[in-house]
Amino acid sequence: MSRPDRAPRSVVLAFLLSALGAAGFAASYVLDLGNEALGGCLGAAFAFLALGLARWSSLIEGHEPDYVEERAVGPTPKPQYDAFRRALTEQPVPRSGVLWGALGTAVAAIGGAALFPLRSLLPSMGTDPDDVLMRTPWQAGTRLVTEEGEPIRPDDLEVGGAVTAFPEGLDPREHVDTTTMLIRVDPAVLRLPAGRQDWVVAGVVAYSKLCTHAGCPVGLYTDSSRELMCPCHHSVFDVTDGARPVEGPAPHPLPQLPLGSDESGYLVARGDFSGPVGPGWGNH
Amino acid sequence: MRERPSPSRTRARLLCAAAVLAAAAVLALTAARSTGTASVAAPAADAAGAADQATGREVFLRDCAWCHGTDGSGTHNGPSLTDVGAEAADFYLRTGRMPLDSPDQDVRRGPPAYDDATISALVSYVGSLDNGPGIPALAAGDAVSGRTLFLENCAACHSASGTGAIVSGGQPAPDLWHTQKRQVAEAMRVGPGPMPPFSEKQLDQQDVDDIVAYVHQLGSSQDVGGAGLDQYGPIIEGAVALFVLLPCLLVVIRLLGRRAPERSKGEEQQ
Amino acid sequence: MAGILLSLLPRPRPMRKLDERLGVAGTGRSVLAKIFPDHWSFMMGEIALYSFVFLVASGIYLALFFEPSSAMTVYDGHYRPMQGQEVSAAYASSIRLSWDVRGGLLLRQAHHWAAHLFIGSIVLHLCRIFLTGSFRRPRELNWTIGVTMLILAIFNAFAGYSLPDDLLSGTGLRIFSAITQSIPVVGSWLSFLIFDGEFPGREIIQRLYLLHVLVVPAVLAILISAHLAILIRQKHTHFPGPGRRDSNVVGSRMWPSYALRSLSLLAAVCAAVLLAGGLLQINPVWAWGDFDPATITAPSVADWYILWIEGALRLFPPVEFRVFGLEVPNQFWPGVVLPALVFGTLYLWPWLDRRWTGDRAPHHLTGSPRESPLRVALASAMLTFMAVLLVAGSEELIVQWTGWTVAAIRDVLRVLVFVLPIAAGLVGWWVAESLRLSDVGHAVELGRHELVAGLRRRREA
Repeated sequence: MSRPDRAPRSVVLAFLLSALGAAGFAASYVLDLGNEALGGCLGAAFAFLALGLARWSSLIEGHEPDYVEERAVGPTPKPQYDAFRRALTEQPVPRSGVLWGALGTAVAAIGGAALFPLRSLLPSMGTDPDDVLMRTPWQAGTRLVTEEGEPIRPDDLEVGGAVTAFPEGLDPREHVDTTTMLIRVDPAVLRLPAGRQDWVVAGVVAYSKLCTHAGCPVGLYTDSSRELMCPCHHSVFDVTDGARPVEGPAPHPLPQLPLGSDESGYLVARGDFSGPVGPGWGNH
Repeated sequence: MRERPSPSRTRARLLCAAAVLAAAAVLALTAARSTGTASVAAPAADAAGAADQATGREVFLRDCAWCHGTDGSGTHNGPSLTDVGAEAADFYLRTGRMPLDSPDQDVRRGPPAYDDATISALVSYVGSLDNGPGIPALAAGDAVSGRTLFLENCAACHSASGTGAIVSGGQPAPDLWHTQKRQVAEAMRVGPGPMPPFSEKQLDQQDVDDIVAYVHQLGSSQDVGGAGLDQYGPIIEGAVALFVLLPCLLVVIRLLGRRAPERSKGEEQQ
Repeated sequence: MAGILLSLLPRPRPMRKLDERLGVAGTGRSVLAKIFPDHWSFMMGEIALYSFVFLVASGIYLALFFEPSSAMTVYDGHYRPMQGQEVSAAYASSIRLSWDVRGGLLLRQAHHWAAHLFIGSIVLHLCRIFLTGSFRRPRELNWTIGVTMLILAIFNAFAGYSLPDDLLSGTGLRIFSAITQSIPVVGSWLSFLIFDGEFPGREIIQRLYLLHVLVVPAVLAILISAHLAILIRQKHTHFPGPGRRDSNVVGSRMWPSYALRSLSLLAAVCAAVLLAGGLLQINPVWAWGDFDPATITAPSVADWYILWIEGALRLFPPVEFRVFGLEVPNQFWPGVVLPALVFGTLYLWPWLDRRWTGDRAPHHLTGSPRESPLRVALASAMLTFMAVLLVAGSEELIVQWTGWTVAAIRDVLRVLVFVLPIAAGLVGWWVAESLRLSDVGHAVELGRHELVAGLRRRREA
């Protein structure tokens, strides 16, 4: 096999440049030259390695014919296959249905029993998810507080302002379903559904912050159109109209929290949300 | 045996081409998004006392009175300015949101329409109309506390990285990388356009300073890890992966794997 | 010079020692002589294989520093805005990995880019197999293994993306829990078992970590071995050409030329993901912030291999109804039914294709895509459908570019998601049919005459 003399030199050069790149990576690491230098050097080392190998192979290829290999795969020849069948059935296996049925029962029972420990993935016994999803810990008289835990007066918000609120005394991260969006609007623009007129204090309305579509926090409040939007799938809710969905895939309104104020003028809940919060579920 | 072109030379050449293509595509992707945001470069001068209110009034009567009224008390085209104070005037003028060419135009950020002195004069004039809030005095804030407050109050619309996003109706929540510190502070109180205003009770002056300090370092050169792809998240990252990274490797395998011979009509019908 | 190159080849002596103990020279010889068909499209699967190799190698390094725990801890590293902040151990260790472990960010970013490449190349590989009919008898089993690996790759990428416990990935898990609980009858229980109670629970990071670093990679490794073993047993398919028959395979030998080329591809994959990891930021979790279930960032979207489901969730109309008194939530259709249909069809395709074409014969000589206009049409329609869903998942970017409203874009996309795939399918059929009936070698060479001929043929049929 004749090898042109110039070509291998370029392969060697590529490999040496690759080694240089690797050395550059080591130097970048020691000198702490940053992510770009590290990635650039190591990437270059691999790139030159790829180049060298590709060139090397192309030199060899030039001398290679198209190789041909016969394809031997296919069904086993009949005599051998029959021998296999015989080996399988040589020892008489009882045909009794009862025996096979009993074996099947045992295997199925073991498989079924193995499913029981899966229940331990949800440690609190007696938790029915459907009950948990139905309710939130909001109760009549619970104060609304900010994420920092400070109680809220209606006047803390400017008209057009919004804040996220939680029930006093509960860890917001443990009770995500309580997350509430407080928005203050001009009371004159409110068109709430019947029976909710007294759920408002000085123009402050409270809705669940969890989108009724996929549960993302509906955190984007647009003051000019008085709408809440979910950034995940772009559902839009009309704050003045009981958080009715006006756009996007959300199928129903955000549940509303009835508001009142206590003797110190702080906002309190007057009960739980008007419905289950967050996305619908299959057993609802 | 088939004829094979000398593959090594073409391979090297095409690999280089692939690398250039990759770099160009990334630049184009990043640049395409950046053009949407006009940079706001207005040196924050102390406008409080020095400016000439008379000049300001002159410009006001010429450019603003159409909508806001000759005495700033508003018309059916525009709101009253008698209680917004110098703070709002400074914000709207320095971010180029005002003046509008016509009252039904969208209020959007852009390059300021006036030079610094004219803005100061106008701000001073609007500030003199009433006792509204003045231009906020900024103090050094704590970016650590600012980070938490920013994520709680601002990230939903402006994006956690500050790259900007949209709110309902497709209105932009602009990026915060090209905004001066003072305008960031003013926006929280003013609540321009779709943005809700934040009261002193919600965010006190210290909170505002902290948020400003955090916003100031967002998207900055202190960041690590290479070109930021606008920190827009999975959409642009995915586009780079599918339209740059993967095609580069397709070029590589196109060069490494030799092509099957051309098929002829006769064989096809076999 | 040639001497240096030769000296790099393995010396015979260790081989002899190995053979004395195992007697493997015979097998070794046939392995070295294995034939690889020379067509570039056969290397798409190799990109996936080498991405997997890189993912495992870089993942081991990352696992040395990552703490899979939602327990709160104080971050005290170099990233200033978080100094002294109490965040979850998972998030803190992700930030440390990015800002404080030298070289950690490179590997983290390269790992993420490699995941994109892994799934992307699997999809391309799948398209080639589909279009050339290489899934036909006797390769149905390897097709189903391949589809399983695609699903596992997507799942594992989602799990890995969720581990850092940042604001973006936490929102992704939130949507995942909403989709899980939408399954009729068992949904709420399933979601509670996965998340250890109501979202977000306390265990999900640990559970996903176990799946991400051990279970799924192990299953993938086993399936890759099976995939390759079946490939070696059945041998590659190859394109028609002089001397190429169903009963043989023509190409390059494994050793040395193909092995060198394949190793070159391994190095190229490493080079691509390392250069990307060094020069292009990906998933800057410090900028997203730590996960707080009450807050959110925008845009809140997933990586492209999940983004099509997000796009479908956005486009699906706001309907909800009850069956036998049980609610069928809105997110059930785009979140559960659509992926089930997509992957179910993929699984069943070899048998559906058989029913459609009546072709039950074994094939080793693969067709050119044009030979089956039906497959070209279906692939074009499917890819277009996915593309529209990806555009729907990127709505916010289009709004920012064009200034149109979200509602307008959504209305247009709700139409396009049906119209475009049908149009693409018809065009695909037409082009394939025209190519099939003509002499031209490539779609770009199609002239008016050939296209008219293709159209006429279709009318007759």
